Amino acid sequence: MLATLVTAVINGLRGELVRVEIDVAPGLPVCHIVGLPDTALSEARERVRGAIRNSGFVYPMSRITVNLAPADRRKRGSAYDLAIAVGIVVASGQIRRGGGSWALLGELSLSGTVEPIPGVLPMVATLSRQGYRRVIVPAANLAEAKLVSGVEAIGVDGLDDAARLVAGPRGRAAGRAARRIPVELSGPRTSTRHGTGRHGTALAAQLEPVDLVDVRGQGHARWALEVALAGGHNLLMVGPPGAGKTLLARTIPGLLPPLDDDEALELTVIESVAGMLPAHGDDGLRRERPFRAPHHTSSYAALVGGGPALLPGEATLAHHGVLFLDELAEFDRPALDALRQPLEEGVVTIARANGHVRYPARFQLVAAMNPCRCGYYNDDRRPCKCPKGDPDRYVRRVSGPLIDRIDLQIEMSRVPSDTLLRGPTPESSAEVRRRISAARAIALKRNDGRSNARLAATALAYACHLDSEADGTLAELGDMYHLTARSLHRMLRVARTIADLAGHDAVTKVDVLSAHNLRDPGALFQNRLAA
Amino acid sequence: MDERSAWIALASVDGVGETIFGQLLAEFGSASSALAAANDVRIDNWVKRRRALDARPPINGPTLGALRSVAANPRAPLDDIAERGLWTLTPLDAHYPRRLRDLDPPPAVINGLGDATILDRAHAVAVVGTRTPTAAGRALASRVATRLAESGAVVVSGLAIGIDGAAHAAVLAQGGATVGVIGGGHDHPGPRAHQRLRAEVVAKGGAVISEYHPAVPAKLGTFPRRNRIIAALGDATIVVEAPVRSGALITARQAAELGRPVLVAPGRIGDWAVAGSLTFLRESPAHVLVGLDEMVEDLGLLEPVPEADPDEPKLPIDALVAMLGATEQVVARRLLRGPAVLDVLVADTELPPAVVSSAVTILLMRGWAQSVGPAYTTAGALAR
Repeated sequence: MLATLVTAVINGLRGELVRVEIDVAPGLPVCHIVGLPDTALSEARERVRGAIRNSGFVYPMSRITVNLAPADRRKRGSAYDLAIAVGIVVASGQIRRGGGSWALLGELSLSGTVEPIPGVLPMVATLSRQGYRRVIVPAANLAEAKLVSGVEAIGVDGLDDAARLVAGPRGRAAGRAARRIPVELSGPRTSTRHGTGRHGTALAAQLEPVDLVDVRGQGHARWALEVALAGGHNLLMVGPPGAGKTLLARTIPGLLPPLDDDEALELTVIESVAGMLPAHGDDGLRRERPFRAPHHTSSYAALVGGGPALLPGEATLAHHGVLFLDELAEFDRPALDALRQPLEEGVVTIARANGHVRYPARFQLVAAMNPCRCGYYNDDRRPCKCPKGDPDRYVRRVSGPLIDRIDLQIEMSRVPSDTLLRGPTPESSAEVRRRISAARAIALKRNDGRSNARLAATALAYACHLDSEADGTLAELGDMYHLTARSLHRMLRVARTIADLAGHDAVTKVDVLSAHNLRDPGALFQNRLAA
Repeated sequence: MDERSAWIALASVDGVGETIFGQLLAEFGSASSALAAANDVRIDNWVKRRRALDARPPINGPTLGALRSVAANPRAPLDDIAERGLWTLTPLDAHYPRRLRDLDPPPAVINGLGDATILDRAHAVAVVGTRTPTAAGRALASRVATRLAESGAVVVSGLAIGIDGAAHAAVLAQGGATVGVIGGGHDHPGPRAHQRLRAEVVAKGGAVISEYHPAVPAKLGTFPRRNRIIAALGDATIVVEAPVRSGALITARQAAELGRPVLVAPGRIGDWAVAGSLTFLRESPAHVLVGLDEMVEDLGLLEPVPEADPDEPKLPIDALVAMLGATEQVVARRLLRGPAVLDVLVADTELPPAVVSSAVTILLMRGWAQSVGPAYTTAGALAR
């Protein structure tokens, strides 16, 4: 007997429809899965057999052929388990199929429980677009499935529940509903993929948020960070160990305004595909802006995405948020250079011989690095222990084109202990966040939803109205430092943000002058060579 | 071939330093006859004779080979030099730098780019120090060099990274002339990071010179040897920061041996950066550098030359500062108390970071401040 069911596969951030056809025919008891399955999928055979038996159904001693259509698309993962198992149960006549067409998503355990899978949200969205009105999903993924409108999503815990639903009220659902409770020898059961993510999250979790009230001194760097976050400008902090670079970065999550609805949905899809959706707010959407801090040992694939499964990387997980790269110069160079595309275009393209996927990756880059390998180049109190010429080599590990895409570059030095112990109590994150949110709102409204950092050169004339004094200052700076058009534009964007923070309509002389000083690759990338 | 050309050819031989050069001259009477001798058995006879006396040959095999090949084609080294657009001075020339004649023996050949006449300017001071200075050392080197340039002295240094570079750069910023003595031939002019600086030294009326033939690479031994030229070219030598065993101390010692005054900038006791300087102060007749005014006085330099622009006469610093805007004044006054990074400026002036940044940019644009590493210091008319 033949059974046909529908499930879906993830390609990039989109779901694609897959038809599962199961034929149970007399013959030697074998099970073939055809239609370009990968290893995890081929192993579905074993999981399905265990799950069927342990859910009170009978695994048919017949020739079983599972066809996954379209047959020319490579399939991977374990999301088909449930559809295959239910298909076998239907095709072997153990339940009669009720009315309507069901789509099923879910991985099975040997005990017959349905395990959560990544990418449920985009898969359900695709099924909805293709006209399927009822989708069975793992109970743990129900929240994200419900985000899709126009679809009735039903969460199931076990294969028997799914079979009962497919059979319908009048279908004869055989099978004992007595799913055995699996014996757990490995401690309490925790959801394996849910909320823990695959890569990078361990460190991201380590960077506990800090409030700005706990960051003493570093007035200049605090302000630079404020400008960066208000305008979406990329920021590089250079300074010796202990200057407070990482500490300052840890205040970022507390300074970012929440995501709006569209952004939140996009982020939720990304996290769904990455298999790392934690529990979110009432509406199931992720509201906090992402702050990703991959470790500098992260691989190319972890950073920009890829791997055999073409999964999204940190650049994509930081979409609409901040990607913080601590110890920038220690990162793998090819991986860093791969960030140039997303920095420029806001997407990453992962190309393979058999196709490519594009992931959105419009993140703001915040990076920190030491001025040299030992960290004390140009320090007042400690000698630099690097061999001669090594500091230059160290800095050159970060390629020029990448540096060029960083609007704000500041040097930090250690805060004197006096300031640390007795300095005045600085502003708290809440106050700074208020200013950042206000400036962002002004910019978004004026720029048609773009941050200042993303203002096109052609839009600058309109967006950055300079008062007459500022106009002269800009020309003077340009002449004096031989600024290219690109540098001038960059300076204008930053000046625009500074003006927004101050609440000026027009960009003033002080805004322009201080913007110029905020990109002070001076000592590090130029003066170091001259002096 | 005239004697001067033969002299240059002979000095170009890899391995022939002043010692061998002097012996060859003594033996054969002139550079041209030494080259002629190198073409036949006379040179071998000389080597044999010397070995019988000393048990050690005066010249080793590879050097002898190099000497022979130059002797076979003595025009080649001259062409090498001409090809690169270098000028050459030998002690045979009337305008060989007079200060170098104090060395015994003086370098046989000086190859250079830029203006050769500034080597004989009335006042020249060597500024030397470590390649790995602190920010304070860098700032001091800049201020010393700026003041020297203002006083009309040529600043001589080694074009190395660190103090040397800071000194050269400060002079250039001041519009003064500076001389860089490199440790290898002109094909190997030192740190790549200083490519632009070297070009600027030449372009802005200074000179980059070397005693080596252009193709000779810089080696471990060539730097200390080069230091004696730096010491000799200065009427005095100023040591800014020298840790223990710093090459700058070699320059200082040689300057002392030449009887030239040496001024050493002191530092905190126990500070690694000046450990060598302090030991040197204790063991030599060097003087302590206590201030820029005192430096100018001690060195007998002219009073600061008036500003080139007659509209901007040299004013007392207070008057200059008073010409600035209100916030710039606050920042300038803070910088006059010593170098500071932006955070310190923000903390000390209690102004918003944006205002401090903008004030600093204005001071930078006027040339009244400069960045030294992460810190800023006064410069130009405000430097003292």
